[in-house]
Amino acid sequence: MKVKILQWHAVASWTWDAQDETCGICRMAFDGCCPDCKLPGDDCPLIWGACNHAFHLHCILKWVNSQTSQAHCPMCRREWQFKE
Amino acid sequence: MAAVNGYQGNTPADPPASNGSKQPAAPTKTVDSQSVLKRLQSELMGLMMGGGPGISAFPEEDNIFCWKGTITGSKDTVFEGTEYRLSLSFSNDYPFKPPKVKFETCCFHPNVDVYGNICLDILQDKWSSAYDVRTILLSIQSLLGEPNISSPLNTQAAQLWSNQEEYRKMVEKLYKPPSA
Repeated sequence: MKVKILQWHAVASWTWDAQDETCGICRMAFDGCCPDCKLPGDDCPLIWGACNHAFHLHCILKWVNSQTSQAHCPMCRREWQFKE
Repeated sequence: MAAVNGYQGNTPADPPASNGSKQPAAPTKTVDSQSVLKRLQSELMGLMMGGGPGISAFPEEDNIFCWKGTITGSKDTVFEGTEYRLSLSFSNDYPFKPPKVKFETCCFHPNVDVYGNICLDILQDKWSSAYDVRTILLSIQSLLGEPNISSPLNTQAAQLWSNQEEYRKMVEKLYKPPSA
């Protein structure tokens, strides 16, 4: 028997590889995007700190920039450093 | 629900149009206040699903940037059986800056002044964007039973704290239930 595929329709799903489901800063789902973005995905990436807490990149940048002195991780208060 | 947590669930690939009709409805709002709005809406949702024992909060009529909260004094403290109303006012920088929180009910406490101002580190230099209305109210509730005596706003209360029996009498004497 010979099967000839005339047309096919692929569906894929993706998810960020984070342990939490929501960003501790904006409370939006990691699989969504930060409140300033319209579309989830590479344009609104997640970023991890040295302490292993994850946030939307845009959210943690806002937090770091809003601090007058050394910024701390919003979750654990350790000095905020981006994970290498 | 969909308007608040548009992407929650297993369908991150959904087009943003499914995010509800809320977005085009407020074209005059800046991006900033829009994101504060989203965060406060999701906090409200969480609080309505169950905030925790002895605390509650709700936005004032037609202004989600101003909330009224209530906390009850914890069991086995001199504040047991009392209830306090507080006001919380959020800026466009929330949650990057803390809200302004004040007691509206008179509260005889070492770290609360006569105007209802509260001296609590997490509402000032120890603020973190991971705090929310629920954790603020829980922190104030535990501050009631565990005051910081070394830097009091109300020195009379700080001095009386060591005498818990007399302190309780003072709390009862000055207490006015918030419903009035």
